[in-house]
Amino acid sequence: MPGPQQATRTSVRPTPEQLKDLRMLRVVVCHPDDVDGQQLTQQLKRIGCHVQAFWPPLPVLPERTDVVFLAVRPDIIDLSFGWFGGNEENLTVIAVVNYENPTIVEMVLRIGARATLPSPVRSFGLLSALVVARQVHSELRQCKKQLRKLEGKVLGVRRIEEAKNILMRTRNISDTAAYDLIRDQAMSKRVTTEEIAQTIIHANEILSLGKT
Amino acid sequence: MANKDPIRVGVLFSETGVTSTIGRSQRRGTLLAIEEINEAGGIDGRELVPLLYDAQSSPPVYARLAEQLIVEDKINIILGCYMSSSRKAVLPIVEKWNKLLLYPTLYEGFEFSNNIIYTGAAPNQNSVQLAEFMTANFGARVYLVGSDYIYPYESNRIMGELVLQRQNSEKVAERYVPLDATEQDFQPIIEEIRQLKPDFIFSTVVGDSTACFYRAYADAGFDPRTMPIASLTTSEAEISQMGGTATGHFTAAPYFQSIDSEVNRRCLARFRARFGEDSVPNLCWEAAYFQTHILANALARSGSEEIAQLMPCLLGSEFDAPQGRVRIDPSNHHTCLYPRIGVVDSRGQFKIVRQATRSVHPDPYMVTHSLGDWAAKLSSVEL
Repeated sequence: MPGPQQATRTSVRPTPEQLKDLRMLRVVVCHPDDVDGQQLTQQLKRIGCHVQAFWPPLPVLPERTDVVFLAVRPDIIDLSFGWFGGNEENLTVIAVVNYENPTIVEMVLRIGARATLPSPVRSFGLLSALVVARQVHSELRQCKKQLRKLEGKVLGVRRIEEAKNILMRTRNISDTAAYDLIRDQAMSKRVTTEEIAQTIIHANEILSLGKT
Repeated sequence: MANKDPIRVGVLFSETGVTSTIGRSQRRGTLLAIEEINEAGGIDGRELVPLLYDAQSSPPVYARLAEQLIVEDKINIILGCYMSSSRKAVLPIVEKWNKLLLYPTLYEGFEFSNNIIYTGAAPNQNSVQLAEFMTANFGARVYLVGSDYIYPYESNRIMGELVLQRQNSEKVAERYVPLDATEQDFQPIIEEIRQLKPDFIFSTVVGDSTACFYRAYADAGFDPRTMPIASLTTSEAEISQMGGTATGHFTAAPYFQSIDSEVNRRCLARFRARFGEDSVPNLCWEAAYFQTHILANALARSGSEEIAQLMPCLLGSEFDAPQGRVRIDPSNHHTCLYPRIGVVDSRGQFKIVRQATRSVHPDPYMVTHSLGDWAAKLSSVEL
């Protein structure tokens, strides 16, 4: 019970998704089967993850792996597998390191690690590293998705602008009239204004062929 | 009543295995210092007693023996380790038990431990000076060859970056051989060198295979006057295994036997009187020797072999080593040393062609080294 002078909590915050998910995670540990490797797999099992351990590292990970811990060691720095890079949507990579020189750090960056664990591995700190890495990876994924969407949008706006210019020039109409024309076409063909714009640009290119 | 019990220290080098030539010399350098300390009355009358183990050039054996020294032999201080992999094996153990390791070997940097003192050169104390000298005198097209472990990877990264700061520079190739490489393993490398004709070769080959590489170079008929090998690890000890084939090649190190000082000459004379030709003095031998004296002085001042009392007395301490007056840097636990460049003469000794006039401060976390750094400037020695 909190004492009377202590500020009472006004609301109970919901448990973060990343924490709720911990017990469903399929984790692959690529680490030599030594004290450190065992410490790592045992702690992950205590947390409740589903753990499989391998060494040397797997070129292809088991299907639907959520997290991979990779021991970044001098003897594997020439490896280059498809899952390196942190670009796989549902795979979070975490590096386990025992050297901190630029040669090793370069590989930590190259595998797309979202967190690092120092070796010798301690039980304490593993859970936070796992959760933070998953959160960072998921936010990064969201950002990339958003970015792709926005890039598409910007491209569309530019196309509409270009198509409007073509119409204004060739038909001698106003900006507003050109836009209305594009929008009316989109409505009647049941496609987006961007697609109509793209068609106009294409048609214009073809019609301009041979002109000087 | 004063404590007259002996102080026992662990001495953990490799008497056997691929790096035993250096390991044996480091062990004897340590023993020479211990004998001098005891002849001078010990640590306030307490005898310094070494517990010697052979780590067999194997990191797991280093780890096992370090734990044995601490847990079973109840020692507080270990003098030892050569390859970075051996230090990395011992580091977690001295940290776990809060004991002290003194490490007398050059290495690639990027480490600090509250439980370790580093008395060999960091890259800013040898690589920068070597790159400066080699590129100025031979050109900047470099061929990199090394043993297959972390020290060569990192040294080659640094050398590559330094060399590429010159005009007309090129890293023509970067090759690695197993730690136990024989002359056979160097054949493809020798062929490639013949084709690519670099301005110089940077070798981070360590251990017994060093001699194989230099022999393969000599057998190929290459000329050190136009395409020498530059190294940070080829010392008098490796050269003694080669039978004259190293003449004309270069090494950067804080210590060479040929250093012209009274301290060095006396130290070498005492060593030969005691150990004969059993082992060849070299940079790691010297570091092993002076770090033991630094330890003894700190033990005397602190009156304790517990790390909490001992460390403050080690940090900032100075000693007139054979290379010059060295100092343990209090902030990073590495050592202020004197970079030198030597060229191998016909007797297998180094003629010193450049040397630092003042000691160079260790900077183990330096990512980007640059040529022309004032601290890297060495003065020419009259030839």
